[in-house]
Amino acid sequence: MSFIEDTRKFLRENIRDYGMFIALFFIIAFFTVATNGLFLSSRNIVNLVNQTGYIAVLAVGMTLVIVIRHIDLSVGFLAGFLGAVAAIAMVSWGWPVIVVIPFILGLGILAGRLTSFMVADLGIPAFVATLAGWLGYRGALQLVTRSTGTIVIPNDAFNAIGNDFIPEIPVPWIMPEMHKLTLVLGLISIVIFTTSEIINRKRMQRQNIEVSSKEMFILKLVAVSALIGSISWILAGYRGLSWTAVVVLIVVIVYHFMTTKTVLGRHIYAVGGNPEAAELSGISVKRITHVVFGSMGMLSALAGILFAARLQSATTTAGTLFELDAIAASFVGGVSAAGGVGTVIGSLIGALVMSSLTNGMNLMGIDISYQYIVRAIVLAGAVIFDVTTRRTGK
Amino acid sequence: MNQTSDNTPVVEMRNIKKHFGAVQALRGVDLALHHNEVLGLVGDNAAGKSTLMKVLSGAYIPDGGEILIEGKPVTFANPMDARRQGIEMVYQDYALANNLDVAGNVFMGREVTRLKLGPLGVMNFSYMEQETINLLNRLKIDISSVKLKVERLSGGQRQAVAIARATAFDAKVIIMDEPTAALSVAAIDKVLELVQELKEQGASIIIISHRLEDIYRVSDRMIVLRHGHKVSDTSVEGDIHEFRERVVAYMIGARDDFADRIVAG
Repeated sequence: MSFIEDTRKFLRENIRDYGMFIALFFIIAFFTVATNGLFLSSRNIVNLVNQTGYIAVLAVGMTLVIVIRHIDLSVGFLAGFLGAVAAIAMVSWGWPVIVVIPFILGLGILAGRLTSFMVADLGIPAFVATLAGWLGYRGALQLVTRSTGTIVIPNDAFNAIGNDFIPEIPVPWIMPEMHKLTLVLGLISIVIFTTSEIINRKRMQRQNIEVSSKEMFILKLVAVSALIGSISWILAGYRGLSWTAVVVLIVVIVYHFMTTKTVLGRHIYAVGGNPEAAELSGISVKRITHVVFGSMGMLSALAGILFAARLQSATTTAGTLFELDAIAASFVGGVSAAGGVGTVIGSLIGALVMSSLTNGMNLMGIDISYQYIVRAIVLAGAVIFDVTTRRTGK
Repeated sequence: MNQTSDNTPVVEMRNIKKHFGAVQALRGVDLALHHNEVLGLVGDNAAGKSTLMKVLSGAYIPDGGEILIEGKPVTFANPMDARRQGIEMVYQDYALANNLDVAGNVFMGREVTRLKLGPLGVMNFSYMEQETINLLNRLKIDISSVKLKVERLSGGQRQAVAIARATAFDAKVIIMDEPTAALSVAAIDKVLELVQELKEQGASIIIISHRLEDIYRVSDRMIVLRHGHKVSDTSVEGDIHEFRERVVAYMIGARDDFADRIVAG
């Protein structure tokens, strides 16, 4: 088979999986040209990553919620409310950060379990249960910030999560302009990715499972390595990897591993694909619902921490519309409303697409009204693409 | 190929009763399935066939009667209980997750791990894929790759996967609920060949079907239900036309071999 034919076949079969990467690439290329390179400058990319952080974290949790055919509208104000609780714990109660963070994450899990209690045990539709949560947490946020208004967080360690960067290797004589630790980490991830892909391919060949051609495989390795490499390079040009980026990466890696490699992940997708079949196979749909909403609650808490740390304060309106941004990011990233389909990586890319649009259009000075319309078109376009490629994919 | 040494039925159901509200779905049905036998279960709509099989597969808990597996009395609280006792059911709508691949469906709910950490156990993909390949080969099921998602398979292939899944874990009894409904003629042929293949390999099977020619082709014996009673329990013999006439007579109530049953209040 010739390389071109092979490429066509590959594109036809994998367009759904790689469509979002290609879209993101074109969006980045467009804005880079339109802003004379400003978009791709180190400073802007770092800013973009930090802006995307809390939405990306929510989108990861939302992916699993939508995969099991539910929705969670409460996550925005839950994040805002828990961010305010974190601020109060530090400012009024004088708790140390090391206690506050696990405490807030725990509260998030509890909140998620409250939702799943209504959804799984009482049989209330998730839309209604979480709409109640949306109202409730909004009220709770206003209540706890009523007497103080915006609560300024004077804690440097906490604020570092939203504003600071990972430390640098103290060797100022080598590449003084670049953040070396970021480059080293980028290199390590390229090595890990490449070796794991090669091992996986060898295993599949050993079992006579069809793999893509050698050229295609090498192209994929090169493309991903170049992507990781250039992102590391750009980040290293400013102050390196931010703590927000570290948090997002950890969340994405843990959830990616959980969804693709573990029994729990398999059960989540089985429940999403066919709840009756899953139940008949001995998978407890209720238990999975509890786990997924519990994780959503925990990630809402984490998003709340990231947002409060970024603003270095808790505001009375924190979290407004985060839930819709997270849902949009998931759908743009290829999650299907019918359930069972969608990946954590896809939703991360979806979140990056949406925030790149906002960021790029801001740099271009485009009116906010047009920005909404453009994002609307991208969201609708992504879902139309998803639906039509699924139909022909059969 | 009948074992005369082992006369204990692999499954015996005695006087099974089940009602839903005021509707008496099963009014005391007996059923025995012998080793390496294919038993056809027929009857009109609402005759109680599916209810009886859902009792056997643990989906329904009967109001009365008992179930014996290889002579030992058992009770099932849920389908997993029944499955642990070696009763596997192939559901009419396949009960597959279309978003998972073939191997994923075969091992759904019974994933094999290489790192045992409870729900966070890491799945052993190569083992599950290899086992699925072996299983499909053994049953002569033609599917190009076990990594294909089920949504990309034809109806016949899906039914084959559902049946293969039921046989994957040393089932004592495989129950098939309307395995040929909603399939094309060619696919029906394939599924019936698969049933025959399973019997040759020693499986004991109960098959529910509206299609009498399917029952005729694969079954050794046949039970007819009507209004929650068993009205016939005979071996499948004679030519197809005579067979069909006989079955229909039982189904519509013109004949009843157990008419002298004591009608309990």
